[in-house]
Amino acid sequence: MSVARDRARYIGWRLAQAVPTLLLIVTLNFLLVHLAPGNAADVLAGEAGSATPQYMAFLRHEFGLDQPLYVQYLDYLRNVVSLDLGYSFREGMPVRDLIATRLGPTLLLMGTTIVLSIGLGVLFGLLAGTRPNSLRDNVISVFALVSYATPLFWVGLMLIVLFAIELRWLPTSGMVNIAAFYTGWAKAGDIARHLVLPAITLSLFYMALYVRLMRASILEQRGMDYVVTARSKGLTERAITYRHVLRNASLPIVTMAGVQIGNLLGGSVVVETVFGWPGIGLLAYKALFARDLNLLLGVFFVAACLVIVVNIVVDVIYTMLDPRIGLR
Amino acid sequence: MTSRRDFLQTLAASGTILLPGHALAQANPKQGGTLVMDVLPEPPTLASYLSTSGPIGQVSAKFYDGLCEYDFNLKPIPSLATSWTTSPDGKTIAFKLRDDVKFHDGSPFSSADVQFTFMEVLKKFHPRGINTFRSLQAVDVPDAHTVVFRLDTPAPYMMMALSGYESPIVPKKLFAGTDIQNSKYANNPVGTGPFKFVEWQRGQYMRFDRNPGYWRPGQPHLDRIVARFIGDAQTRSAAMQTQEINYGAFGAIPYFDVARLTKIPGIASTTKGYEMQSPIVQLDFNTRVKPFDDVRVRRAISYAIDRKFVIDNVWFGFGKPATGPISSNFSPSGIYTSDVHNYNVPNGTDVANKLLDEAGYKRNADGTRFEIVHDVTPYGDEWQRFGEYVKQALAKIGIKATIRYEDVPTWLRRIYTDYDFQLTSNWLQNLADPVIGIDREYSSWSIKKGTVFVNATGWSSPETDKLMKDAAVEIDPKKRADLYHQFQKLVVDAAPLVWVFELQFVTVYDTKFKDLVVSPLGTYSPFNAVYVES
Repeated sequence: MSVARDRARYIGWRLAQAVPTLLLIVTLNFLLVHLAPGNAADVLAGEAGSATPQYMAFLRHEFGLDQPLYVQYLDYLRNVVSLDLGYSFREGMPVRDLIATRLGPTLLLMGTTIVLSIGLGVLFGLLAGTRPNSLRDNVISVFALVSYATPLFWVGLMLIVLFAIELRWLPTSGMVNIAAFYTGWAKAGDIARHLVLPAITLSLFYMALYVRLMRASILEQRGMDYVVTARSKGLTERAITYRHVLRNASLPIVTMAGVQIGNLLGGSVVVETVFGWPGIGLLAYKALFARDLNLLLGVFFVAACLVIVVNIVVDVIYTMLDPRIGLR
Repeated sequence: MTSRRDFLQTLAASGTILLPGHALAQANPKQGGTLVMDVLPEPPTLASYLSTSGPIGQVSAKFYDGLCEYDFNLKPIPSLATSWTTSPDGKTIAFKLRDDVKFHDGSPFSSADVQFTFMEVLKKFHPRGINTFRSLQAVDVPDAHTVVFRLDTPAPYMMMALSGYESPIVPKKLFAGTDIQNSKYANNPVGTGPFKFVEWQRGQYMRFDRNPGYWRPGQPHLDRIVARFIGDAQTRSAAMQTQEINYGAFGAIPYFDVARLTKIPGIASTTKGYEMQSPIVQLDFNTRVKPFDDVRVRRAISYAIDRKFVIDNVWFGFGKPATGPISSNFSPSGIYTSDVHNYNVPNGTDVANKLLDEAGYKRNADGTRFEIVHDVTPYGDEWQRFGEYVKQALAKIGIKATIRYEDVPTWLRRIYTDYDFQLTSNWLQNLADPVIGIDREYSSWSIKKGTVFVNATGWSSPETDKLMKDAAVEIDPKKRADLYHQFQKLVVDAAPLVWVFELQFVTVYDTKFKDLVVSPLGTYSPFNAVYVES
C-alpha cells in the first residue's frame, strides 16, 4: 500500500521535473534546426522544379518564414505548451495528426525489437556467460560481434535478397500488402509478415549489445560473495543462476535498455527507410531534408517525451529487481 | 520435346497460322487488375492546381483531366475539349467542351468549371500557371459547353499547357467562395478523371479506384491504381523484382539496376513518355565572378567535357549529347536546331587549353592555372560521380576543382539565393514549350534572387531577351522556330553554361500491363487505357 503510494508520488515528482527539461530540449532543438541553411519554401519550390517570385513569396509568408526568428520561436513555444505541435506545410496536415498516424508502426517495430533483442540477448548472454570460453561461448560471442559490426542497411538489404527475392517467403517492404486491402485477422497476419524482416534487422544489432553486456555481467556476478555463500549453502548451480545471478546481472541490461531507446529511434530511421516501414523515423528523416521544421521539432518532442517516460519506467523496474534501491 | 508454345511459335514464324496478336488484344482489353506504381518521393499534397512538385502530377493526372492531351508530335489532342479554334490574330481561342462529363461526386462538368479553374485558380496560384496564363485576360462562357479564352497578346505556348497534369480542371461548385489555398478538397480531390481518390495512408500508399462514370466508354480498364512510396532505391529494385510494384518512373529504379532488372522475364523498360519534360544535364557558371565572367573560360570548359564518356559511364547510356539550351525533343515543331557552335569535338582538351592560354590564365609551376569549387547538385549518386568526372576533366586543362556536396535546401540556397558558387552541376527541364522551360533560365527578367530553378548564372543579353519576347507572341510556327534558331546560336556562343547531355529518364514496368506509355506525358497521363494482358 505504502509502496504503491511512494511509487505514485515518485512518478509524479519525476514527471514534474520533466517539464523544465522538455522546455530546454524544445528551445535547443528550435535553435539547432534553424541553424541549417535553406528553408521549407526553397525545398517545396525546388521539388516543383520551377517557381515564380510571387509563388516563393507566397510560400514564405504562408510558412511564417518572413517573421523574425524570436516571433517564430514564441509562436512555436505557445504551440508546444498547448500541445498543438503546429502545422506541417509540406505534408499539409497538423503535426500532431501526422505523428499520431506514424507513432503506431514505430512503437510496434520498437516494441518487437526491444522484446526480441533483450530476450535473445539475455538468453544468449546467459548461455555464454555461464560457460565462459567454451565452444558455446565462442560461437555466441563471434555471432554477437558480427551482428554488432555489420551496418544495419546492409543486413536489411541482404535479408531482402535472401527472404524476399530468392526464397519469396516474405515481402520486401511496406507494412501491409498494398494491393490486397485485408481486414481483421488477415490484416494482422499480413502486418506480422511485413514486420519480420525489419524487426530482425533492427534486433540483431541491439541483441549483440545485450549479449556482450549480459555475458560480462554474469561473469562478474558469478565471482561475488553471495554466489559463494549460496553454493556453500548447497544450492544447485541452476538455482544459483536463475534465482540470484540472473536477477542481479539484469540490472545493467535494464539501464542499457533505458539509454538505448533514444538510439533505437535513430536506428529505426535506417530500417524504416530500407523497408519502407511507415514510422516516425522515416518521417523525421524526410522532414529534415524538406526543412519541415515544425514536423522535425514535433518528432524530436515526441522522442524526448518517450525517452523521459522510458527512463522513469526503468527506474521503477530497478526497485522491483533490487528492493535495496529506494525511490527518491 | 517441343512444348506447345514452341510449336505455336514455329507455326507463327513460318506464317502458317496467325496468333491473336497485340492489335486484337488492344481492341478488346479485359477490365480488372491493380497497378501498383512507385511514386518518388511521397507527394506533399494532392493539390496539383497549387503545386507543380513532380510526384503530385504522377498521381493527380489519374483523377484530374485537362482540356487537352498530347500526341508524340507534341500536338494537342482532345480531352475535355473536343475541338478548338484560334482567331487569326491569336488573341481568341474558343474551345468546345464535352457535354457528357461528370465529376466524381456526380455533378456535371460545364464551361463554368473551366472559367473558374483558369481565372480563379491556375492564373492566381499555380506556380507555373501564373506565368503561362499571364496574357489570359478573361474566359467567356457563351454556353454550358463552350469557353472562349481572351488574351491581350498571342500566347502560342499556352496550348502546350492544357493537360490534366499541368492545368487540372477543378469543380467550381466545391471551390468557389472558399480559401483556395487551404481547400478541404486539396487532399480529398474531386475530378473528372478515370480514377477516383479513395484513401491516403501517409508514408504507405494512396489508393485510386476505377471511376465507373468515366466519360470514355468502357474505360478505364484497371480496377485500381495504388501508389507506393519506397524511399530506398535498392528496396525499390527488389520490390520490382518480386512484382510488389509494377511500375516505376523518373529514376525510381536506379540507372545501374535497369539492365539487370530488364533481363528478368516479365520486366521491361522504356525511355518514352518524357518528351514534354526534356531534362538537360548541365554545368552552370556563375558569370558574375572571376574567372567565369570571361566567355573564353566558359567556352574552354565547354570544350573540356567529354559528353559521350559521361553518358556511357555515369548514366549507363541513358542520354544523348546536348547541343544547346533547347532539347532535340523539339525537333517535330522545328524549334530545335543543331546548327550552333559545336563544343563536342574530339580534340576538346587541346582547344580548351589554347583558349585558357589566350584568356591569360597561365599554368604555374605545378601546372595549375586556377582553383575553383565545384558544387554538385544533390539529386543522387550519379551526380557525385559526374562531379568526380568534371574534377578530372578540369585537371587536364589545368583547373584544380574541389568538390562540394550539400543537401537540397543548402544547395538551393547557395545557387539561387546567395549566388555563392562558381560552377555547379544542375539539370533543368525544357518542359512543354521554350516560353515555359527556357525563358526562366536565360532571360534578364528571370534573374530573381530567392526563386529556385530560374536564371542562376546571371547571364543575359538584350538580343536574346528580345528573341524570347518575340517568340512568345509569334503565332506563325515557322517564324517562331526561326526566332528560336537565332536564340540558340547566340546563347551557345555565349556559353553561360555547359550543355552536357539530354538526360533520358527511364520507366521500368511489369510487362503484363499494356499501354502504360501512350503519350509524351508518360507517368503524368491518366492511365485510362492501361490494361492487364490475360
